[in-house]
Amino acid sequence: MGKVLIIGYGNPLRSDDGLGWHASRMIAQELAGHNAEVITCHQLTPELAEALSQSSHAVFIDADAEGEPGEIHWREVRPQAEASSALTHTCSPAGLLASAAQLYGRCPQAVAVTVTAQSFEFGDSLSSVVSAALPKVVERVLQFACTDGLRTES
Amino acid sequence: MRKITIDAVTRIEGHAKVSIQLDDNGKVTSTQLHVTQIRGFEKFTEGRPYYEMPSITARICGICPISHLLAASKACDAIMSVRIPETAALLREVLHCGQVVQSHALSFFHLSAPDLLLGMDSDPASRNVLGLLEKFPDIARDGIALRKFGQQVIEGLAKERIHPSWVVPGGVNTPLEPAVRDKILSGLPDARATVRRTLKFFKGMLDQFKEEIEHFGNAPSMYAGLVDAAGKLQLYDGGIRFKDADGKIVADHVTTRDYRNFIGEAALPNSYLKAPYFKPVGFPDGVYRVGPLARLNVARSCGTSMADAEFTEFHQRLGKIVPGSFHFHYARLIEALYGLERMEALLNDPAVLGKQIRAHAGVNCLEGVGMIEAPRGILIHHYKVNEEGAITWANLIVATGHNNLAINRSIQQVAQHFVDGNHLQEGMLNRVSAVVRAYDPCFSCSTHASGQIAMHIQLFGPQGSLLDELKSA
Repeated sequence: MGKVLIIGYGNPLRSDDGLGWHASRMIAQELAGHNAEVITCHQLTPELAEALSQSSHAVFIDADAEGEPGEIHWREVRPQAEASSALTHTCSPAGLLASAAQLYGRCPQAVAVTVTAQSFEFGDSLSSVVSAALPKVVERVLQFACTDGLRTES
Repeated sequence: MRKITIDAVTRIEGHAKVSIQLDDNGKVTSTQLHVTQIRGFEKFTEGRPYYEMPSITARICGICPISHLLAASKACDAIMSVRIPETAALLREVLHCGQVVQSHALSFFHLSAPDLLLGMDSDPASRNVLGLLEKFPDIARDGIALRKFGQQVIEGLAKERIHPSWVVPGGVNTPLEPAVRDKILSGLPDARATVRRTLKFFKGMLDQFKEEIEHFGNAPSMYAGLVDAAGKLQLYDGGIRFKDADGKIVADHVTTRDYRNFIGEAALPNSYLKAPYFKPVGFPDGVYRVGPLARLNVARSCGTSMADAEFTEFHQRLGKIVPGSFHFHYARLIEALYGLERMEALLNDPAVLGKQIRAHAGVNCLEGVGMIEAPRGILIHHYKVNEEGAITWANLIVATGHNNLAINRSIQQVAQHFVDGNHLQEGMLNRVSAVVRAYDPCFSCSTHASGQIAMHIQLFGPQGSLLDELKSA
């Protein structure tokens, strides 16, 4: 059975930037007992390349600044090496997939789900529009994990 | 007269710029490191309850929050006048070792290895971690694995890699589970093998850097670091030992109570970074260095077997006192090995699984100081509180601040040797940045000169002549 890796990231003290935290914690409860790993973190770091290389499917969950507040974006992510020299604070999902492929010889099929934020101000709760989008994000990620990830590899 | 600005210096934590002044013949006449951001933690924490300081000050940095967490908690222990339980002290030190390992791995593998492995003069477009991944995947994998191990130690103990709230005034808030201890212990052999492999590799490269070793900040300075009662390396506890440039101990076992008799702080006119100095010598001659190189220069030994073997070889190769700042890298790797060995010793102490982990008390002292060796050097948190426990005054002396004067001198030395204004090449300026990186500075942590700095704005004409200036006292 393939392993599914869910990575929710952002700053939980910046209102809607905490979307990844809220979503990944809800997803972790739902996926308890499955061959899935859920990581909640402030930012994407190089160490995640190894975990990605050990997974067949991966989902990145983050807040977005583009689009209408509350809008959900779902896109496939393919490995793409980053030109940035600073691999300490800012890794992108595509860059991490490239690192996984380069360093460990494999990378998962990956998607990024983002929700356009209404507010990045100080605060530890989501805005109403992003809160409304949260259950849909969780449902869709679980659907991906359980159908495309866990079941197809079994 | 021309002026060159490196803005921003890359592959460091935080933001800084360097200005280099050239004469009409293209020779370097002077240099200056500018730290251009301000944080203001000392001011905006005034009025907050003292017990909030660990979690507030940990936000100073995303790379070394554990160091601030521990220094702040030790300052709070002092305000409460408690001696924390033995188990809590062991657990705090294990956490600290994890922090040192991950931070040193970040500095060596991620920030400096591109210079060291790909070359100071290599194409800047690929002189980065990406280039490292392509050409030295084994080294890159080792770097990732070692940093990950350090972070897993932190996460295993504190449940969060960044900004955990596990360390609290009086101790820690949950005991260590045996399964977590066993998992960390099981990962130690691989982590140690990684560091030893890297040390062997790095020592084999030293001959390629003879010119950098000769000119990367090897000017005489004093050194400061924490040691235990026997003079061995200490990262979590101990007192400050100061040695002069010749290796003579000039102050020893300086405690939190008397550090202010030995460390003065000057504000520089064009930087938010304070400049601490050795008070008995005065400013600016009392320049000293802290961090891995300084710690190995002041300590009698490390106190663990593998690190001590490396410590002995380090001094046999390079001398009783090692002055070259290039060797911060070498010292950093030895300390990573020490951190792993020390972690194993602490985790094998049966008391580490104890359940008595926190001392509870209120305000019993109106002043408290916490001191620790952060990965980059000595970190001091000093607080004063009122009887209700609200912070009335705070001062933070951070590792990069201690190194401020030495970094400035190193920049000047490197620039004067390598930079030729008539035949300027990128690699020359990269060496100026590389000497800053050797110190592994964290400017995010270090800018704490609120209220002291005299702002100085200078307006230069196209030919470099000073047209106007604005000063505020």
